Amino acid sequence: MVCLYSCKKTVTLDLNNAGPHIVIEGAVTDIAGPYTVKIHRSADFYAENSFPAISGAAVRISDNEGNTDSLMETSPGVYTTTTLQGKPGNTYTMSVRVQDTLYTAVSTMPFPVPFDSVTFRKAGAFGSKNIRAVSNYQDPPDIKNYYMFNEYINGLLETKDIFVFEDRLSDGRYISRDLRTEDDVMHEGDEVEIQMYCIAEPIFNYFNQLDQSGGRGGAFNTAASPANPVSNISNGALGYFSANTVRVIKTKVHIE
Amino acid sequence: MIGASVILVESPNAAVVSNAYGFYSVSAIPGKYTLVVSFSGYNSDSIAVNLTKDTSVSIALETGARQLQEAVVTAGRNNNVSKPLMGVQKLSINEIKDLPVIFGEKDILKTLQLLPGVQSAGDGNSGFFVRGGNTDQNLILLDEATVYNPSHLLGFFSTFNSDAIKDVTLYKGATPAEYGGRLSSVLDVKMNDGNNKEFHASGGIGLISSRLNIEGPIEKDKSSFIVSARRTYADVFLKLSKDSSTNQNSLYFYDINAKANIRIGARDHLYFSGYFGKDNLGFGNTFGIDYGNVTGTLRWNHIFNSRLFSNTSLIYSKYNYDIRINSGNNNIGITSYIKDLHFKEDMQYYANASNRMNFGIDVIGHTTSPGVITATESSSFNPLTLQNKHALESAAYFSHDISLFRRMNVNYGLRATNFAVMGPGSFYTYDKEGNAVDTSIYSSGKVVKNYFNLEPRFSASYKFNSGSSVKMAYTRTTQNLHLLSNSTSSNPTDVWIPSSNNVQPEVADQVSLGYYRNFHDNQYEFSSELYYRDMRNQIDYKNGAQLIANENVESQVVFGKGRAYGLELFFKKKYGKFNGWVSYTLSRTERQFDEINRGSWFPANQDRTHNLSIVGIYKAGKKWTLSADFTFYSGNAVTWPSGKYEVNGQIAFLYTERNTYRMPAYHRLDVGATLQGKKTKKFDSNWNFSIYNLYGRENPYSITFEQDPDNPAKTRALQYALFRWVPSVTYNFKF
Repeated sequence: MVCLYSCKKTVTLDLNNAGPHIVIEGAVTDIAGPYTVKIHRSADFYAENSFPAISGAAVRISDNEGNTDSLMETSPGVYTTTTLQGKPGNTYTMSVRVQDTLYTAVSTMPFPVPFDSVTFRKAGAFGSKNIRAVSNYQDPPDIKNYYMFNEYINGLLETKDIFVFEDRLSDGRYISRDLRTEDDVMHEGDEVEIQMYCIAEPIFNYFNQLDQSGGRGGAFNTAASPANPVSNISNGALGYFSANTVRVIKTKVHIE
Repeated sequence: MIGASVILVESPNAAVVSNAYGFYSVSAIPGKYTLVVSFSGYNSDSIAVNLTKDTSVSIALETGARQLQEAVVTAGRNNNVSKPLMGVQKLSINEIKDLPVIFGEKDILKTLQLLPGVQSAGDGNSGFFVRGGNTDQNLILLDEATVYNPSHLLGFFSTFNSDAIKDVTLYKGATPAEYGGRLSSVLDVKMNDGNNKEFHASGGIGLISSRLNIEGPIEKDKSSFIVSARRTYADVFLKLSKDSSTNQNSLYFYDINAKANIRIGARDHLYFSGYFGKDNLGFGNTFGIDYGNVTGTLRWNHIFNSRLFSNTSLIYSKYNYDIRINSGNNNIGITSYIKDLHFKEDMQYYANASNRMNFGIDVIGHTTSPGVITATESSSFNPLTLQNKHALESAAYFSHDISLFRRMNVNYGLRATNFAVMGPGSFYTYDKEGNAVDTSIYSSGKVVKNYFNLEPRFSASYKFNSGSSVKMAYTRTTQNLHLLSNSTSSNPTDVWIPSSNNVQPEVADQVSLGYYRNFHDNQYEFSSELYYRDMRNQIDYKNGAQLIANENVESQVVFGKGRAYGLELFFKKKYGKFNGWVSYTLSRTERQFDEINRGSWFPANQDRTHNLSIVGIYKAGKKWTLSADFTFYSGNAVTWPSGKYEVNGQIAFLYTERNTYRMPAYHRLDVGATLQGKKTKKFDSNWNFSIYNLYGRENPYSITFEQDPDNPAKTRALQYALFRWVPSVTYNFKF
């Protein structure tokens, strides 16, 4: 009758194949290295989720203190640093040369914000009551802060959601924010690891736009015009290069 | 009675149509005449008149059975051929009462979408598109007051209770000079005045909603009132649930229309009309939103003499929403509103049988409060008050309607508008990245910027004979209030922003050409119209635009151009046991922004190549009336992936051009039947049965993309539909 979530079905669409695009993902953090840059190609929509690695690229990361690290390809498409140490406040430049094209990106690592705790509560829209993790931390006043969280449940990265947050409407507040998931993914006793990243504004914009275009939210995701998120890497590469801090909390799910 | 046809039989050139307030003026040389008044659905009246001097004749028509045979008086039936106005659709409540509609609620907005050039925004969406324009480009008026959000419950119902409505006119082509403020169309809805002779109560009880209407004289023959109210109660069923997560949810709306009018002497008539509506959605105490429109109109009609008529109105209109969130540590409230105070003076001068002049002025003070956020100490959000915006929108217009040589009709006019952006407030200018680089502060009453525009309006018609004509029109329109909405479904929380130092007025020029033909003594009506509209200063959004609670929302938009063109065909059988219409539109609407799609033209989201509606109403004997309507339209333009990649362990989708794909076509058949119930001199009733979407097609509401949960090595496209079969039953009564 009235569908409300039940009238859904898989459809096969006649989608164009844009041809392989280069995707670069690189990060430098403030915890001990090594750091990695991954270079792959995109795939067609109806192909397998295996993204061909790009080998033999020349990858370099340097900082504003004069250090330069030439990354070594440790597995296909994965390039790792050897000496570089990430420090908050420093500016890092990545350069990737694939065949004749040079891709560069710059990112400045923000200063870390202490990650107080992870708590849990039951909540949900439309009456569902799933367990969610709650991140708790004090936002420093008078600075623009951008945050991102990765959630690991029993060792597996939760990939259905993107958790980014900015303090535009919350400057100086104590933040208690749900890492919202609408699905029943978390249960009492699960091992949970939350990683909190303090990220630069272009990286927040990147993941925020990725979230909006991602088709998440089921039936009611109605972003008018999805588009590729604006990348901080030059020359049309997809992906991002981020210098960010990392704080980790490991705990077990328990509802007070 | 609006649009009633008045003729003097002995002097066929002296034929006029009553105006929006039922006033008419007819000139002839002294002598004896038969004055005949007719209006569709009513018995005509003829009166012998001996014209020696200026005479005032007031006439009231009785409702009559629809005439099955052609009657002697046919005046008014060929209005579509003889009047110069093109791109106009008139709907009377009589016409819509037999059509099947979702949830059994008669709805003028839904019926309008069955006419050419008007497209629905889709299932579960409020709003409509006229000739390729956006939903905010339609000026929606209820007794002259602007209705900012004409929908209830996210678009399932409109704010128009048919019991309270007298007449609906949609201008999509040659908009008369007395209207302005939006680019695409004007929807002029007039409320019922109420029966000034007897009391009546009527209403209906349905599965989801009920309504009650009471009208009657305040002083017989001189003054009357009407009050109509309705409420939905879908959530009453939710309260019956034992599950506490369900029984605390609320989902309802109610609205009230009220109108009173008083005739003072022979020359003056005073009206007061108002509307109040509220929607409420809530999930326990974690989330709640309510929103609604309030309008009030105080109007004075004055007849100076037999040629000069005046309408003076004072109008108030407000739309607001109120959100409460109580989730974990977050207790916040968000409110926002837009409010108008409006004064207008319209004059109509009937110089002689061939010349009519309209002129007047119009001043609106707009105030918007884009958002006030309140938060408790423990909340993760700061309280915030976005500064109010003020503007003064004024206009003066003149138009002249001329009948020439009995075959030609010309209407030309000019509307001069000025939009003054006013203080108090801080006004920012931005760089390319969206950072504020300059702030100017203005005090209360100071003008920040003026936008002055001239809007010429011209239309002409040429009658080949009494049954066919050709018409052409040119109009320019401007728009200074813009609705920011970055989603395909309109939300009650979309933000209205006025033009400013950063946002310029939208401007459109439209030309149209049409051919009209009536057959079989006006029993069949055929019209075809070709149009082309050019639009400037159209608005779209930067990638990742932040529209919510953003003081710098003007840095998030980009400006560009639009164009829309199409062919509308309409064929209608107006009288008889079986009647109905077919409407077909072939059209295109496109946009171009330097920052989007590499600056190339792309189809607008609402671009739908084909749009077909077929409506049929059959009076089967004395008790049953059957009806059906079929709708078909091509899918919207959408942006879908052309590939995928992986970032942060998640699948991301690769997009190339904007809007190069199409949603699947939409089609749906609704059927309805009305069974005449007990009928006496004092009581009338009927049962109405309907099925929306008879063959239960899963018309796509949205298509999303994700990793296939059954096969994580692949991705899939998932289609959501909102409605399959929706039956409904309503019992209607009238005392």
